[in-house]
Amino acid sequence: MREPASEVRRALPFMLTGAVTGLMSLAMLIGVLLVVPLLLIGVGWFVLPTAIRGLRWTAGLDRRRVGAFTGTALPELYPSTEGSLLDQVRIALLDPSTRRDLGWLVVHGLSGTVLGLLSVALPLSALNALLVPSYWWAFPVDDPVTSPYPVTSWALALTMPLIAVAYAALALWLVPRLAKWQVSWARAWLAPTQAAQLTKRVSELAASRAAALEAHGAELRRIERDLHDGTQNRLVGVVMHLGIIERALRRDPESALPLILRAQDAADDALGELREVVRSIYPPVLSERGLDGAVAGLVAHCSVPCTLIAEAVPRVPAAVESAAYFVVAEALTNVAKHSGAEQAEVRMSMRRSAGSQEEMLMIEVSDDGVGGASETGGSGLRGIRRRVDAFDGRTELTSPDGGPTVLRVELPCGS
Amino acid sequence: MRVVIAEDDALLREGLVLLLSNEGIDVEAAVDNAEDFLAAVTHARPDAAVVDVRLPPSYSDEGLRAAAEARRRIPGLPVLVLSAYVEDSYAAELLADGADSVGYLLKERVGRVEKFLEALRRVADGATVLDPEVVSQLMVRRRADDPLRTLTPREGEVLALMAEGHGNMAIAEKLVVTETAVSKHIRNIFAKLGLEPSDSGHRRVMAVLAHLRS
Repeated sequence: MREPASEVRRALPFMLTGAVTGLMSLAMLIGVLLVVPLLLIGVGWFVLPTAIRGLRWTAGLDRRRVGAFTGTALPELYPSTEGSLLDQVRIALLDPSTRRDLGWLVVHGLSGTVLGLLSVALPLSALNALLVPSYWWAFPVDDPVTSPYPVTSWALALTMPLIAVAYAALALWLVPRLAKWQVSWARAWLAPTQAAQLTKRVSELAASRAAALEAHGAELRRIERDLHDGTQNRLVGVVMHLGIIERALRRDPESALPLILRAQDAADDALGELREVVRSIYPPVLSERGLDGAVAGLVAHCSVPCTLIAEAVPRVPAAVESAAYFVVAEALTNVAKHSGAEQAEVRMSMRRSAGSQEEMLMIEVSDDGVGGASETGGSGLRGIRRRVDAFDGRTELTSPDGGPTVLRVELPCGS
Repeated sequence: MRVVIAEDDALLREGLVLLLSNEGIDVEAAVDNAEDFLAAVTHARPDAAVVDVRLPPSYSDEGLRAAAEARRRIPGLPVLVLSAYVEDSYAAELLADGADSVGYLLKERVGRVEKFLEALRRVADGATVLDPEVVSQLMVRRRADDPLRTLTPREGEVLALMAEGHGNMAIAEKLVVTETAVSKHIRNIFAKLGLEPSDSGHRRVMAVLAHLRS
């Protein structure tokens, strides 16, 4: 019996708040219905956006109520209402969410209050029936206590515990079911349609593709600049000094020697810069030693003592490896530069995401430093997010003042 | 000759100073940004300016803007622009307000000191000097029905040398042909492109470029 009892205890506040939102839904429904005749005389069109906002707000109350009760959020998905008043009204009226919200107002407005009060009334009646034997005699004979039949004698009063048991049993059976029904009605009316969810997903994917193109473009610009302003300038320097040397050899061979050394330096610099550019495009260490080997190298060279916990990371697409390597390298640079930490830790593992069954590479970089890291502070974290967004991945940073700082990154591996 | 240099890369700047002063050219100033460059040319009034296209702060085309601004302040100031790569819109922009005393060369041309000095002198003397790459790039982008594609390879060579600012005699020398042959090629080129023949060096370049840009 304990379990149904605790279910009732859990369901009661839910049903009781449902009684309140039921009243509000009814009021909102009446309000919306009042707007309809106003539409005929024109004024209604100006009130309509407000009415729709009110409608959504009221439906939102129950979304949150149901979400809190079941522990699974009931997402709210409306088409964005931007643009002129006319556009807003048109979009809102055409969107199925408006009809569904209205449907919910009808269902909940008519049932919510009644069911909520019923849910509370049943246990209270059981309690009352238990107490009737102690007070029934105080009532006048022509207006006796009725629970549910008139109690006019001790004999009848002594049947009351049975009634209490009946009420309690009914409450135990009915209240959790009422709550369940209300949840399923709410899901049926208030959950976004699959079309709306797909629309949202499409816009998310469009955004991540735009981010990918943007990141790619920025990357190409950086590489172009590094090559032109770095490597190529050094090579021009080599060519220029060779030219000067050629002229010097004709005139005064002695003066050529320091120039040759300078040309040599410039050639060395060109090679060094070329190596840097290549490394920044795709670190060669990744192809040689794989992601975990490459990250182990980063961890070993970090100036803050750092441990690596890598759980069976298989080979993932090169672009993902490169991004993951970049994330760890940037994060460890931040740790070394800003955190003042004594200890840092890098974790890498593969996981399947719950929804899409997609393989995700999880990276966590934590340190015991001073905390207070933010994306507005250094461009390193912003760079990490940009790179991760490009893969439709997730970046999460927690860094309260006083530490610790934890950076979590999830990268979909496209399988 | 007195010149002012604007080049942000320290090694190249010092190299240019060394190269030019070894050849007896006075480097009045060598600066690394557009502002100092404008101040220097206004003050020194050099015979020519050598400017890198990319200058701080954004390293896009500040050098080009500075060159245009310098020519606005000192009309006719000879400017030789150096660029890491050929971009015909840069060339077009440079030539937009008159092609006299303008040069546009790839940076690495400074290594061929003699040719580079010759180009610099020609610019200082009022000629137009375009990098051979500019012309060859413009030719590559032609549509199939473009009259430029009807030029013979020899006529293409002559056109490129014209764009580099060479006169008929110099072209004849370089191609090891007679001056009469060169004149004939040039007449053919102008006829094929539907241009008025002209003998003045930079006007010829202008006419060709105007056609190329269209």
